[in-house]
Amino acid sequence: MATVIAIILSAVLTNNFITKQTLGICPFLGVSKKTSSAVGMGVAVTIVMTLATAVTYPIYEYVMVPLNFAFLEIIVFIFIIASLVQMLEMIIRKVSPALYNAMGVYLPLITTNCAVLGVCELVIGDMSDLIGGAAMNFGWAVLYAFFAGLGFTLIMIIMSGMREKLNNIKVAKYLNGFPISMVTASFICMAFMVFTYIA
Amino acid sequence: MINLLAGLGAVTAETWITIGIVAGILFGLALVIVVAILVVGKVFKVNMDEKVTKILENLAGANCGGCGCSGCAGFAAKLADGLADLSACHVTSPEKKAEIAEMLGISLKAEEPQVAIVKCNGGAENAKDAFEYNGNPTCAACNTLFNGNKVCKYACLGCGDCAAVCPEGAITVEGKLAKINPDKCINCGACILACPKHVIERIPVKAPVYVACSSHCKAKEVMDGCKVGCIGCGMCARKCPHGAITMVDNLPVVDYDKCTGCKTCVAVCPRHIILER
Repeated sequence: MATVIAIILSAVLTNNFITKQTLGICPFLGVSKKTSSAVGMGVAVTIVMTLATAVTYPIYEYVMVPLNFAFLEIIVFIFIIASLVQMLEMIIRKVSPALYNAMGVYLPLITTNCAVLGVCELVIGDMSDLIGGAAMNFGWAVLYAFFAGLGFTLIMIIMSGMREKLNNIKVAKYLNGFPISMVTASFICMAFMVFTYIA
Repeated sequence: MINLLAGLGAVTAETWITIGIVAGILFGLALVIVVAILVVGKVFKVNMDEKVTKILENLAGANCGGCGCSGCAGFAAKLADGLADLSACHVTSPEKKAEIAEMLGISLKAEEPQVAIVKCNGGAENAKDAFEYNGNPTCAACNTLFNGNKVCKYACLGCGDCAAVCPEGAITVEGKLAKINPDKCINCGACILACPKHVIERIPVKAPVYVACSSHCKAKEVMDGCKVGCIGCGMCARKCPHGAITMVDNLPVVDYDKCTGCKTCVAVCPRHIILER
C-alpha cells in the first residue's frame, strides 16, 4: 500500500512530467489556450501513456531483455508507440465517432510525444527510490504511467485556466501572448517545487 | 568506410554480425507493425464521403481556420452538407473554388474587388496632440504610451507603420496622416494588421464615397480633439435619398450595395467627414 501511495504522489506531484521533468512541453504550451481542449489533450495523453506502457513494458521485460537486444529500447519503443497510436485512432474513429471528435484530433499530435516515450523509459529504469527493494512489476508500471498522465492533465487544466484568465486582463504589450505564457508556466513549476520532499 | 570505423575501434566480423542482427530485428519489427496497421485499417475502415474527399483535395489545405471551422477537413464536411459558404475561405484560388462550386452544384458568387482606405482625416492639421511624442517613431511604440499622442483615441498616429509593411509602396504619410493610393493597393491586408489603431478598413473599389472618421466618441469629445471628427449628428443618414447610410455607434455606415454615388451625404455633412474618392 505504501508503495502505491508513493507511486501516485510521485507521478502526480513530486516528479510531475511537466513541472519537474519538463517532458511534453509541446502540448503543454500548444493546446492550453482553452480548458476544453486542454482536458481533451490530457485525457488523450493519459490513455496513450497507460496503453504504451502496458504494451512496451512486457515487450521489454519478456522479449528484449532475454533475447539480448535491450540496447535498442528507444527505437523499438518509438516504433511501437507510433503505430499503437495510429491503430488507436483508427479504432476510436470506427467504434465511437463522438469520442473521436472530442479527442481524436489530439491523437496524431502525441504519436511521438516525449512524455509518452519518457514514461516507457522511466518504468524500465531505476525506480528503487519509489518501490524500495521490491522488484518492479507490470502492475506498478501501468499504475505509474496512468497517474503520470493524470498529473499531466492536472497541469494542463491549471495552465489553461490561468491563460483563460489572462485573456481578461491587460498585459503589457511586449509580454502579451507567448511571453506571458512562459512566465505563467515558470510560476506553476515553482509552485510545484513545494512537493519536492513529500514522496 | 572500414578505415573510418577502424579509427573508432576494432572492426571484426562480429561487428558486422551485430549490425546485421540489429537491422534484421528492426526490419522484422517494421514488418509486424505494417501488417498490424493494415489489418486494423481494414477491419476498422470508415467510409468517408466521396464528395468530402474531393472537396478537400481542391481546398488550399492551409488549415488556417479563417473560415471558422477546425481546419480544411471540417470546412469540407460543412460545405458538403451545405452548411458553409465557400466565400468564407480566402486562401483557396478562384479556379479551385469554381471547381468545388461545380461539384456542389452551386453558383460561385463573384467576389467584389476591394481596396484598403484610411478612415481618418486628422493628421497634424486637424487632430490635436495630447502631448509631444519624441519616442521611437513607430505607431506601435507610440500607441503603448497612453494609447498614442492624439487627443482622439481613434485617430491615425501618422508614424507610418502601415507604409513600412505595404509590399506595393502604396501608402504615403503626409502631415502625420497615412494615405493609400487605391491604384497601387492590392488588398493584401498587411496594413490593416499593422495599424494599432485599426483605422484602416476595406471598401469596394467602386465605392464613390467613404467615411473618413473612426471615432465612436460623443460630439463634445470629438469637438475638443479634432476639427474633422464625426459628431454623430446623423444628417447624412436622414438626407440620403436611397437609405444607404445607417448610424452605428455614433458613426455612419455606408451600404455600398444601395449607394448610387449621388454625393448628397458629402454635401450635407457639417463636419466634412464623408469624402469623395
